[in-house]
Parts: sequence; C-alpha cells; structure tokens
Amino acid sequence: MGMPLAMVGAHEKVRVKSIVGGYGIMKRLSDMGIYEGTTLEVVRNDSTGPLILKVLDSRIVIGRGQAQKIMVEMK
Amino acid sequence: MTVKKIRIALAGNPNVGKSVIFNALTGGRQHVGNWPGKTVEKKEGTLKYKNHSFKVIDLPGTYSLTAYSIDEIVARDYLVEEKPDVVIHVVDSTNLERNLYLTIQLIELGAKVILALNMSDLAEKKGLRIDERHISRLLGIPVIKTVATKEKGVKKLLDKAIKLAGETKESKRKVLTYGKELEEHIEELRDCISKKLELPFGYTPKWTALKLLENDKEVIKKLKGVKNSAHVLKKARETRVHLQDVFGEDVDSSIADARYGLIAGLIKESVKKPAVNRISMSDQIDKVVTNKYLGIPIFLLAMFLMFQLTFEVSAPFMELIDEFFGWLAQTASASIPAGWLSSLVSDGIISGVGSVLIFIPPIFILFLIIALLEDSGYMARAAFIMDKLMHKIGLHGKSFIPMILGFGCNVPAIMATRTLSNRKDRLLTILINPFMSCGARLPVYILFAAAFFPNNQGLVVFSLYILGMMVAIIMGLILSRTLLKGLSAPFVMELPPYRVPTIKGALIHMWERGSLFLRKAGTIIFAAVVLVWALSSFPAGVEYGAQESYLGQVGTAIAPVFGPLGFGDWRASVALMTGFVAKEIVIGTFGTIYGVEEGGLEAALQQHFTPLSAYSFLVFVLLYVPCMAVIAVIKRETNSWKWPLFTAAYTTAVAWIVAFIVYQGGLLLGFV
Repeated sequence: MGMPLAMVGAHEKVRVKSIVGGYGIMKRLSDMGIYEGTTLEVVRNDSTGPLILKVLDSRIVIGRGQAQKIMVEMK
Repeated sequence: MTVKKIRIALAGNPNVGKSVIFNALTGGRQHVGNWPGKTVEKKEGTLKYKNHSFKVIDLPGTYSLTAYSIDEIVARDYLVEEKPDVVIHVVDSTNLERNLYLTIQLIELGAKVILALNMSDLAEKKGLRIDERHISRLLGIPVIKTVATKEKGVKKLLDKAIKLAGETKESKRKVLTYGKELEEHIEELRDCISKKLELPFGYTPKWTALKLLENDKEVIKKLKGVKNSAHVLKKARETRVHLQDVFGEDVDSSIADARYGLIAGLIKESVKKPAVNRISMSDQIDKVVTNKYLGIPIFLLAMFLMFQLTFEVSAPFMELIDEFFGWLAQTASASIPAGWLSSLVSDGIISGVGSVLIFIPPIFILFLIIALLEDSGYMARAAFIMDKLMHKIGLHGKSFIPMILGFGCNVPAIMATRTLSNRKDRLLTILINPFMSCGARLPVYILFAAAFFPNNQGLVVFSLYILGMMVAIIMGLILSRTLLKGLSAPFVMELPPYRVPTIKGALIHMWERGSLFLRKAGTIIFAAVVLVWALSSFPAGVEYGAQESYLGQVGTAIAPVFGPLGFGDWRASVALMTGFVAKEIVIGTFGTIYGVEEGGLEAALQQHFTPLSAYSFLVFVLLYVPCMAVIAVIKRETNSWKWPLFTAAYTTAVAWIVAFIVYQGGLLLGFV
C-alpha cells in the first residue's frame, strides 16, 4: 500500500503513486520531475519542517504539507 | 551590405547562469523595465556582431512553459505571440535531465532553439562527458558548450543565431511523439482545431491541441474569446476524461512521462557519467549546513558576519561621502549670494540628497554579500532552514530572502517578492517587510546610542533589529489570521548545488538591486527634499526649520500625540515628519532645528531626551511609516493605493503602541 512521502525516512528510494493537489501544484511538481510514476530519493526528513528530495540530478525542497499529499510506495 | 536586426530571446531555468550569458552578449547596453501590465522584470539589450544587429531579450527564469506563475506566462506569451527569430535556451550542463524538459517544450512551441550547455567546465570536473553533437542530432537543433563566466562559446552562439535566423526551410527539429494512443487523440483534436478555429496569436493547431489536453488554463482562457471555440473546448474535455480512463492516470502525468522518457533516452546515449557515484560535495556540505541542530546557529553566524563585514567595509566610504557633501554645501552657500536660492541648494538639495547617497556604500556592500551568498547556493539553504519559522506566520521559506534583503533597503526587498507565486504570500511578505530595519535607520540608532547608552551601544542597536523582526513575525501572525487568510502556495524549491560564486556575477546582481536604490534617490527623494525644504523655509522670513515655519507649525500641532511616548516636543515631531522622505534625514533635521553642527548634536539631544524617551523614540523610528520610496514601490507592486495607504497607517499605529509600551512600561519599572 502507498504511504505519504512525508513519512519516508532519509536515504529511502520511493516511487510516486499519486499526487493530490490543484492544477498549479501538479504542474509545478512535474516541471521539477515529480509526477505519477517517477522514482525519487528522500535525502533529508527531520520529521518537522520541509523535506529535501533527490529528483533526477537535482535537490528539491518540498514543504511538509505538500509531502503529505504525495502517495508513494517503497522501491 | 545588409544589416539585419535579429531578435534573440534567452530562456532557461533559474540558477543556470542566464544573466551572465545575457551580460556577456550585451555588455553594458541594456535596459531594464517591466513587461507591459505585469510586475515582472524585462531586460533588453542590443549588440552588433558581424554586420548584424541583435536585440536580446532575457525572459524570466522558468522551469517550464505551463501557465503556473506570472513569470511563465510572460515568457510563453512572448515566445508565442512575438515570435523571436531565435531562442537560446541556457541549461546547466551538470543537471541536463531536468533542464531539457524546457527544451522539449520550446521545440514543441515551434521556436528556433539553440541549446547552450552552460557551465560545461563544471560538468567536466564532475566527470560528465557530454557528446553535444549527438544531442544536436537527436533533437535536431544546434547545441553549443559554453562557460558564460569566461565568455566561452558566446561568439559561437551568435554565429549559430545568424545562421538559424536566416533559415527559411522547414526545420529539422524533432518533434516528440507521445505514443500511439495519445498521438491519435492529439491529431484528432488538431484536425478539429484547424477546421473550426481561426487561431489567434500565431498558435499552431498541434501546439494548441497539446495545450488543451494538458488543460492549460491560460490557453483555454484565450480561446474562449474565439469564434466556434466552445465545441473544440468541449471535445478537449471529453478527450481528457477518455484518456484518463485509458491510462489510469492524469493526462498531465502521461505527457510529463513521455517528455522525461525521451530525455532519459537521450541522456543515456549522449552523456557518460562517472562509474562511481560518490556522495557529492554539495550533499556533504548540506549535512552540516541544513542540520537540524546546527542549521540555525550557522545561519545566525552567517548573518552576524554579513552585517559586521558590511559596517566595517562601508564606514570609511561613508565618511568620504559625508565630507564631500559637507564641502559641496559649504562651497555652494559661499558662492551663491545668501537668500532663498542659496538655502534651497545647500540646506535643501545638497544636504538632503547627500544624506541619502551616504547609504550607497553599506547598501551596495550588503547586496554584494547577499549576492555572493545567493550565487554560492547558501540562500536557498537559508530558506529551507527558516521554513518552519515562516510557516508559523502563514508563509514559507521562500519569503525569507526578501526579508533579509530588507536589512539593506526595503525597496529592492519588496521587489524581490516577485518570485513568490501566490498573491496572498506576496502581499503578506510586502506588508511586514518595512519592519526589517533598513540601512537608513541605522545612523539614527548609532547617534542616539552614542548619546544615551555609551556603554551599551552595540546592544541597543542589536535590540532594535531583533525588535523589528519580532514585530514582523507578530504582525505576520495577525495579518495571516485576519486580513490575509487563505492557503499559502505549496513550498517547492530547487536547492542548487553549491558553487564558487564569481565576482562578476555577484557584481551584476548587486548592481541590479542597488541601482533601484539609486534611482529612487535620484527622483522621488529629490522631489521630497525640495518639498520639505519649502515647508521648513516658508512663510517667508522665518528661520529655516523654526517653530513658525509651516513644518514647525504642523509639528507643534501633532506633538501632543507623542507625549505619552516620551517625546512630545515639537522638534521631535518635525524630525519624524521629515523622516518620511528617508529615515536618516531625522538626524539632519535635529541638527537644523537645534542649530548645531553634527559634533554638538549629541549634547543637544541629551537636553531634550532622557535615555528612556530616547529608546522609545528609536523604537518609533524603527517601526513607523516606511519612507516614501517604499510607499511608492508598494503602490507599484500591488497596483493599488489601498495597500500602501494601509501600510502607512498600520505601521504607524504599531509604532505608537510599541513605543507606548516601552515608555510607560519603562516608567513603571523605574527607568528614566
């Protein structure tokens, strides 16, 4: 089963299953390389505050609220 | 000889060295303005090369051409509607995969694209071997390796641009295919569009079809005004629903998937990565710098050093400017026969403008340090670290950078809020920004601290900066729960890899922000200075700044308002009123009304203030209405008079309340 990205620990690789969000944020995320079906790695998750992800070759900061809305599964 | 004007648009993600390429291309010949009707900066420049003249337009840095932020809409509208002859897409060679996403969209748009693989030296250092010829073959566009900071490859870009602009035949540019199912529907929709619609703005049918399937709000909005579009829009909606059923995911995701899929294949064929995937230097640094416990102390240390350096380096320059204007005023009053003209020139213009220009050194040096921090990649980390705190006031980390800039000058700081995509976030950041103590307030603190708190000068000044930040946070809390409710935009931001910043790049950034301050000094402040001078000099016959002058009369009338704050003297009211022009003018006004030279000012102040009322006065100076340049910039950025007037009123109210608490509280506690 999927779980929210916000709950994934550092160094875990996950696959995005679904994203809940409005038109704007979906686009912004896919521009950054985060869309249904992509694989990404959590670089940092301090259990409060934003997360750092490794997506493609870049590091992306994502707010915790948004990370709650991205459902992922472990790779 | 034919001389042809070629229009080049520069496109690219943020942080790829686009502005350095722009500068390398245009040198000093550039013009900065706004896009018509939008508060997005438009940079244009011209150059001549091999008998051709070029006009270069720097598009806002964007990640894609969807219609998410104003930046992207501006960039896309320009590309689609104005059709530049050539588009140079600047990409970061060390991060091709994400960058090429925009390339694909540019090609789809039908633009004549040249790909500039910038920072190719860094890619080599990382061990990436990029076969640019192969990329060129695969995409069907020219690809050039560049190192913008060393101006490498820039001439080649121009050569290619000349060649490409002259080409008339159908291009070899590859168009991405989205797989059978999707392609069929795109084609069907395209045919329907070309049969039924007369497309505006030079949209091509295929591109329009794709955008409709992507549910692009801007394109839909623009098509709504076109005849027969209702049918096409309905068909597009149905197709979206159908495709969603077929793929079991959003159409957007399928399209993104296809684009990234193509890019992944391309990278695999043309880029050799080093076999060992060692942990990058950037990640190593981030482990320390963004650490849960170390992050904030490191950030505070960086800020402390930033201010320390700014003050140390700028002090001698400020003294020089001060002396220069002192000399100029003296010379002017000596060479112009005494009378109102002499007074206007020396009391009004020279000392007024001089008291503003004296801030050039600290403001420019602070902006230079901030530019170095930004270019190195640290500022993005600061935004990450501060996100949690900013969250409490309904904002996120990105709003933090404009707040830091506010320590230099609130004008460029407020303009820097343009990077925020959500209107509510932007407005809130603008409204609390004036509480960040700008460089112009510092000399007032320093003078009073020296006069009243000789043993604790540093502490007094520091406490005011902290108080400003605390008030900003509290007002942010209040505003985000009352006037400016609503969700803030989700926080998504790229953390660029750490890079050694170049002096040239940092100087460009410094100049872009600092020149805003200069322009304000040249225009609005000049006018205000003359006005204040006139109010202080008339009715005819009164001594400059005397109680009988218009300014003195107004000051006397409102002085009782400040009684409960400890400074109900008319002179203080007059000084505060002139501070609306620029806050440091408060000092000059005291000098004028007390009729003393700068050296005697401390003694004169000691006669009129107690330490407690002096501190209360400083609190008021920190918080009350920002200077008129800030009010003007808020008017321009929010496009209405409502918010600047609101800012003027609420900041002054807050200033009164806080100063009241400080003074009356101080009295109760037995301070004098």
